[in-house]
Amino acid sequence: MGEVSTAGSGAGSGVGARVRRKEDDRLLRGRGRFVGDIALVGMKELAFVRSPVAHATITGIEIPEEHRGAVFTWADLAAGGVKPIRAVSGLPGFKVSEQPALADGKVRFVGEPVAVCVAATRAEAEDIAASVFVDYAELPVNSDMLEAVTPGAPKVHDHWPDNVFLETNVGGNIAEIAATAPVKVSRTIRTARQCMVPLEGKGVVAHWDRHVEQLVLTTSTQMPHIVRAGLSECLDLDQGLIRVVAPDVGGGFGWKGLLQPEEIVAAWIAMRLDRPVRWTEDRREHLVAAANAREHHYEITAYADARGRLLGIEADAWVDAGAYSVYPFSACLEAAQVGSILPGPYDFAHYRCRTFSVCTNKPPIVPYRGVARTGVCFAMEQMIDAVADAVGREPWQVRLENLVPPEKMPFDNVTRKHFDSGDYPESVRRAVAAIELEGWRARQKAGEPDGRLIGVGFATYCEQSAHGTAVYHGWGIPMVPGHEQAQARITPDGGLELRVGVQSHGQSMETTFAQVAHEVLGIPLEKIKLVHGDTGLTPYSTGTWGSRSMVMAGGAVATACRTLAERLRKIGAHLMQAGPDGAVLEGGSVKAGAAAVTIREIAHTWYRAPQLLPADVDRGGLEVTAGYKPGSDHGTFSYATHAVAVAVDPEIGQVEILDYVVVEDAGTMVNPMVVDGQIYGGVAQGVGTALYERMPYDAEGQPLASTFADYLIPGFTEVPHVRIIHMLTPSPYTEFGVKGIGEGGAIAPPAAICNAINDALKPLGVIVTNAPMTPEVILSAIAGKRGAA
Amino acid sequence: MSAHAKTISLTVNGTRVEASVPPRQHLGDFLRERELLTGTHLGCEHGVCGACTILIDGEPARSCITFAVACDGRSVTTVEGLDDDPVAAELREAFSTEHGLQCGFCTPGMLVAARDVVLRRPDADNPAIRTAMSGNLCRCTGYVGIVNAIRRVIDARNTNAG
Amino acid sequence: MKAVDFDYAQPATLDAALELLSREDVMVRPVAGSQSLGPMLNLRLAQPELLVDITRIAELRTIRREGDRLVIGACVTHARLEDGDYPDVTRGVLPSVAAVIAYRAVRNRGTIGGSLAHADPAADWVNVLTALGADVVIAGTGGRRSVPMTDFILGVFETALQPGEIVAEIHVPALSDRARWGYYKVCRKTGEFSHATGAVLIDPARGVQRCVAGATSGKPVVIDGPALFAGGCTEAAMAAHLAGSPAADDPIALRTHTVALKRAIAQVMS
Repeated sequence: MGEVSTAGSGAGSGVGARVRRKEDDRLLRGRGRFVGDIALVGMKELAFVRSPVAHATITGIEIPEEHRGAVFTWADLAAGGVKPIRAVSGLPGFKVSEQPALADGKVRFVGEPVAVCVAATRAEAEDIAASVFVDYAELPVNSDMLEAVTPGAPKVHDHWPDNVFLETNVGGNIAEIAATAPVKVSRTIRTARQCMVPLEGKGVVAHWDRHVEQLVLTTSTQMPHIVRAGLSECLDLDQGLIRVVAPDVGGGFGWKGLLQPEEIVAAWIAMRLDRPVRWTEDRREHLVAAANAREHHYEITAYADARGRLLGIEADAWVDAGAYSVYPFSACLEAAQVGSILPGPYDFAHYRCRTFSVCTNKPPIVPYRGVARTGVCFAMEQMIDAVADAVGREPWQVRLENLVPPEKMPFDNVTRKHFDSGDYPESVRRAVAAIELEGWRARQKAGEPDGRLIGVGFATYCEQSAHGTAVYHGWGIPMVPGHEQAQARITPDGGLELRVGVQSHGQSMETTFAQVAHEVLGIPLEKIKLVHGDTGLTPYSTGTWGSRSMVMAGGAVATACRTLAERLRKIGAHLMQAGPDGAVLEGGSVKAGAAAVTIREIAHTWYRAPQLLPADVDRGGLEVTAGYKPGSDHGTFSYATHAVAVAVDPEIGQVEILDYVVVEDAGTMVNPMVVDGQIYGGVAQGVGTALYERMPYDAEGQPLASTFADYLIPGFTEVPHVRIIHMLTPSPYTEFGVKGIGEGGAIAPPAAICNAINDALKPLGVIVTNAPMTPEVILSAIAGKRGAA
Repeated sequence: MSAHAKTISLTVNGTRVEASVPPRQHLGDFLRERELLTGTHLGCEHGVCGACTILIDGEPARSCITFAVACDGRSVTTVEGLDDDPVAAELREAFSTEHGLQCGFCTPGMLVAARDVVLRRPDADNPAIRTAMSGNLCRCTGYVGIVNAIRRVIDARNTNAG
Repeated sequence: MKAVDFDYAQPATLDAALELLSREDVMVRPVAGSQSLGPMLNLRLAQPELLVDITRIAELRTIRREGDRLVIGACVTHARLEDGDYPDVTRGVLPSVAAVIAYRAVRNRGTIGGSLAHADPAADWVNVLTALGADVVIAGTGGRRSVPMTDFILGVFETALQPGEIVAEIHVPALSDRARWGYYKVCRKTGEFSHATGAVLIDPARGVQRCVAGATSGKPVVIDGPALFAGGCTEAAMAAHLAGSPAADDPIALRTHTVALKRAIAQVMS
């Protein structure tokens, strides 16, 4: 059970210290080791034949004679006993999809792997792929989720009655409020389908290790243990025969948090050919076959009183879940989460939300940084501004009117989410002050010399993170987090090795977990080594997702180190011939009065001079595996208010961000520099969601972007120099009071920027409600008004 | 191996290299697969993301859309070749201090581009740094740490020069 | 994402290059900096059998003043034009435009001739050289011919180049001391392809009053004469000039092109 303390003065190198990262030097010298950097003797390269059509029956696959033996299809895998991916949810009514690693007679989205080609180089493998002829008998396509749920829509999975993975209904009893509320505002709101675009694509190197008789899959993943579990199910291979290793991982954001068909194929080919094989996802493959995040549609109504006090929220929400259910998160996590988190950080009593996870001919949806929260926040925060507009108050005032006040913490909201701590209204007040709202209002009134329109927008959210058993067992998906494990081992020279099953893909864990261990044991950071991302070397973990690693694995590291500390203290006391009660572990030494013995000396004793140990020494020695869960496993709740000032050019529809402030509360920060980095990076992705990123599809389900020239991610000049203000309310439930923070930055920007744009467009009498808010969207809104007038 | 393989000789990080290359092999693949210089990363292979940026005859270039065969007689420098470069050393220090990298995948290209900005644009203010660096994409940092790092190096050099 | 297997030659002389380019037994393409062709090769959108690299041909890398013109070799890089180590006859147009082409790492390799031969309507040189009234000297085995920019760019990725021909030189007329210049690109990101480009040149001494609307769905739209410079010229008048052109595919495109042109003109008038 977590002890609560608020350690961390910012000095030193323990919890709270802004220390430089241990991982930096190798990465700055080009000495990182990413999957694509790994070459094994005799290694072959893979390239996939991918479907060029969104929905079709495969009537034939012709492999040129000279390439027989170098091309494999589902028929080969199935004959070899490979099973399709089944990511089932236990929620009632969930319809199961089966996703074969290579198409089994039918393709359901553009980019779906149909065959795999093996050659000495990737270029040659692509040559072979280009020579394979696949005959497709095209079928009608579901390219839009709202059309896919209409009667008579073509079915993605023939044996289903419709195209809905799952429908959920939350709340109810809103009819009376709907009939009597003084204020009623409704909106249609939509977010686009996006790609997550880690700079490193996915990648896999697979080989069969003859010595240990294991399949070794080195893969660019956030969750090696879950990939192993999934591989075991699909390959029908005992987990003990599989080792999954994640090397340096070049960003993930969710895209590397799943079992991929390509991983199964690579594993199978490596075993079949008894040769190492490598597949690296190229950018076109990523943009086309992995356009898999964020596509929400809302029909939402807010009811309020004349002051803007929310009386109720009513919504129907659709999420385009694509063609298959992904392992382990399933096709319904995103939409079902919408139902449970749409109320946001607000305190109101009446709520009804119906959600649909819709099956379409697009790539399967995968939880992207913030998961459903980015869409939910986009919808809910627009409604707050709409209510404010309706009652003639400033949007920040209406937020204050409705946010859960600090005196009600901890607070269970209308969907029984347990908000743990914090002062939500204060985050708004600080954001209003920091963005200097009055100044912008004055400038707005004066008008800009260049004709641009100034707008200011706010968005507030709270974010459940580090989800525990209580949250996940309800989903009934292939993965439920329980006690997180960490192993801590004092080395014979007095250093420390930590082993955790989570996997860093930019989060700085080699540094921050070392800081946690240092906080407890006092061992210097340079003598602490993190081992992670390897099922062969680390305890089981569901991996890195849901802003959980510091809360869960950090908590486990602290727990393991505390046990080690106690053992060290007892041995140290014995070596000093002091009573155990008077000895303390401090600054890397056990001290009793004026005497001291270093951890190095104690380690030496345990490993090299055990004859000197006390008779009753703990037989576990200087190695501990400990499990950890926070005091509440409903997850931690970090929160933030984002404030943004924009200038909208009404002639060309472009938006410039003039200032951006984040006021956030992540509880205790283990390394403030790293926390800031997560927020900056999250906001940048949120700016992409708000203004740039959209994978468009035509009616035939063809993706209309396939390069960075047509799928725009924000660069240096598109992302503002964000200012961050921290509030520090320790979580009452976690080690050191930390809260999950990795995703938060990406949640609020689309909402805040949308509200700012609408504030700017107010004089023109138009609003935008769809992300991304491209020049085309803004100009269309303006032109529509002009046309209607 | 391609029937069209050509023999090229070039200098890679100060060492003379002679190699037979298929003309279709881009410089990034040549460096990574043949020279095992895997610090040069491939993020898009169509010249937009900047992760593969290296120096050809001292000038930044995209190794993914430059073919190795076109580099006969040239001098190529990768991030591994900047170990002893004084500007790169200052940048490495500043990137670490300012948290200008997270996953580190874009970092080698960032360093090569940033080095060029420091040398070519010693007068750059922050907006100018951002514009000059706009050919390199990062998905992790939100760019703030990178801008601060380059700012720090430029300021330090200007102070020392002054 | 790897190119198809192709053969490659790097001739040292123009004659040798033209000889190779005239081969009819293989699909042959010239390449200079490969900053546009490189991506197309990697994406297999271009699948040549022989690539003829013309960047080692010394005469194509020179810049020289010839009377009232600046003669720029096809293989001169954008970066060199940006850095300005030549007698600029354009009063800063060339370096300032070069500086906003894509990114420095691309400008270091990409060439002015390659950009013209590629003929992307959004490319800076396609529109700027049209506004400047430049001529393109085309070389083939049959000799050389000079084509004005307005006749060189024929459409989207379409030029007057015949098979076997390459761009050899660009001739840019010198501007007079009183020439004024405006340039405005609508890009969503720095270095991104333009969605609407306005390029404007007024050079009274030479009787030039020219507006170009570029980054259209076709060749640049050229409006010569005083029509758009009159004091009372309105946005509606500009839109009327663009109506029916490749700058007016839909109302939003027309609006954006009109604004780009208006802003370029405003730079000249200010």
